Amino acid sequence: MKQSLVQAAVLLALTVGVFGQTSAPATPTAQPAAVPAKPITDTDLKSVDTPKPEERAKGDPEGSLTGTAADVAVSDAKRGLTIADLVNQAGQNKIAINFVWTLVTGYLVMFMQLGFALLETGLARAKNANHTMMMNIAVYGIGMLAYWMIGFSLQMGGVGAIANLGGTPPLSAEYTFNLFGKPFGVFGQNGFFLMHNGTNDVAVMVLFLFQMVFMDTAATIPTGAAVERWKFSAFAISSFVFAAFVYPLYANWAWGGGWLSNLGANFGLGKGYVDFAGSGVVHAVGGLSALAIAMVLGPRIGKYNRQGKPQAILAHDLVLVITGCLILAFGWFGFNPGSTLGASTNGNLRIGAIAVNTMLASAAGMMSAMFYMWTMYGKPDASMTGNGFLAGLVAITAPCAFVNPVGAVIIGLIAGVLVCVAVAFFERVMKIDDPVGAVSVHGVCGIWGVISVGLLADGRSNFGGAWNGVNGSVRGLFYGDPGQFVAQLIGVSTLIGVVFSASLVLYLVVDVFAGQRASAKSELEGLDLPEMGALAYPEFDLTSRGVEV
Amino acid sequence: MILVGIAVTVLGFVISLLSLGMAASVNGRLVMVMTGLAVSLFGIIGLINRTYLRNPIWKR
Repeated sequence: MKQSLVQAAVLLALTVGVFGQTSAPATPTAQPAAVPAKPITDTDLKSVDTPKPEERAKGDPEGSLTGTAADVAVSDAKRGLTIADLVNQAGQNKIAINFVWTLVTGYLVMFMQLGFALLETGLARAKNANHTMMMNIAVYGIGMLAYWMIGFSLQMGGVGAIANLGGTPPLSAEYTFNLFGKPFGVFGQNGFFLMHNGTNDVAVMVLFLFQMVFMDTAATIPTGAAVERWKFSAFAISSFVFAAFVYPLYANWAWGGGWLSNLGANFGLGKGYVDFAGSGVVHAVGGLSALAIAMVLGPRIGKYNRQGKPQAILAHDLVLVITGCLILAFGWFGFNPGSTLGASTNGNLRIGAIAVNTMLASAAGMMSAMFYMWTMYGKPDASMTGNGFLAGLVAITAPCAFVNPVGAVIIGLIAGVLVCVAVAFFERVMKIDDPVGAVSVHGVCGIWGVISVGLLADGRSNFGGAWNGVNGSVRGLFYGDPGQFVAQLIGVSTLIGVVFSASLVLYLVVDVFAGQRASAKSELEGLDLPEMGALAYPEFDLTSRGVEV
Repeated sequence: MILVGIAVTVLGFVISLLSLGMAASVNGRLVMVMTGLAVSLFGIIGLINRTYLRNPIWKR
């Protein structure tokens, strides 16, 4: 208290002096001689004032006595507080901030699972509500265990040190081969069961949680395209393989130190393939896999008439649909800003810009889809407005950290129109029955998001001075780097050529051994009773008997 | 025919990949990657999907 009074008196004297000088005529004063900086020593720390125990015992309603030098962990009680203790505390604080940030944003992404469940169930018919909800909860458990056993290792087992998380040295084994004289990383080899080769590590656990919820988002997307006709057993097998192999391989190439991320370092293509939060890795992978399963399953009975003309099958609850969209948008504030894997140092203060870009693109996507439908069909269709909302979010996911707010709005506006055009194309031209528009929202707009990095990245972001091991900021074609555009297109070609093909092979193999599609009898009855053994809305079914529900 | 479609779709990716070794300039790589994308899309839309549409559920 005494020291505080002395400090206040000195501050008052300085203030009076400054104002006194400004009101008096300026007079030349001699510059004080430069005093050499005196390094702080451990001895200086002894005089730091800390609250006395009797003061703390009275409580701290103002919050001025809590969080002081007394709270710094001391390594040697006899020596007391040292400079080394302070420096260690600063390092641990940085990592603690980044751990908490990454975990909390990961929890937000996990919450998106509810958004998907409500969205898909609302767009399905009432007779399939239980089955659709079950797919959405089961994919969480199935996918997580597959990813824990195999997928995480393949994806991140060779990523190397992640500085934001204090280094992840156990994740150091990437399988590579040489092609065109350069190393091509294809999959990681450490981390099976989170026990293998020292991966039972605090930083690895944080990384696992965050990456797992991303994988689960991708694994959920195909359930939307396959809704109302996917046999549950086939869904379970397919989802396990998807989470263990299909998703992790592409994620390794983009995020785990694999060959796509090194296109810049090895072949001079910009900063390599850049996908900040997963327009390609999560959404396009899920969307293209959704296209594959929709092809294998074929359309629902009644979706097309004898002439092959599409028929409307109405959503059973638009309230669920819009609620699901809003929950997804909320979760996206974990998805995109959380992908910094930290809030402290290395340019991570861009989390604010990333969050704003995310919300701007979602608004732009929603508006452009709404006005497109209003203009083309006379009404602002609710489900397509929701899809436009999600389309903007999907598209901004890859570029959110590298574009400015105007770029984000442009990306969202294009995505909103693109999703409407794509839904009509798949339904009318390719005759693919995608009840929730998963292929259009996640596949098409995910690819657009990947491409938009190569066009609109403005070169103003700076995450520690380099990206993918190449110095400088990510810059797209319109800002002077055509190589970045080519790197992004190679990523898109890999998505379409490899991810789609691998997914199709997976679903065809499961189809041969287990059969992918539920029987026509079950489909007409609704999958709730034949597949799940219980109706989602038993009373509703009773009052609607005899009516197509 | 579906297997042929899958092979063509993968071939498109291979063309894009080969651009890294066969073309030195950015423009050359861009042309090869665009060609690869077109081949892959032909595989999906022109071969795989067309095969599924030969005997669709609404004609059975």
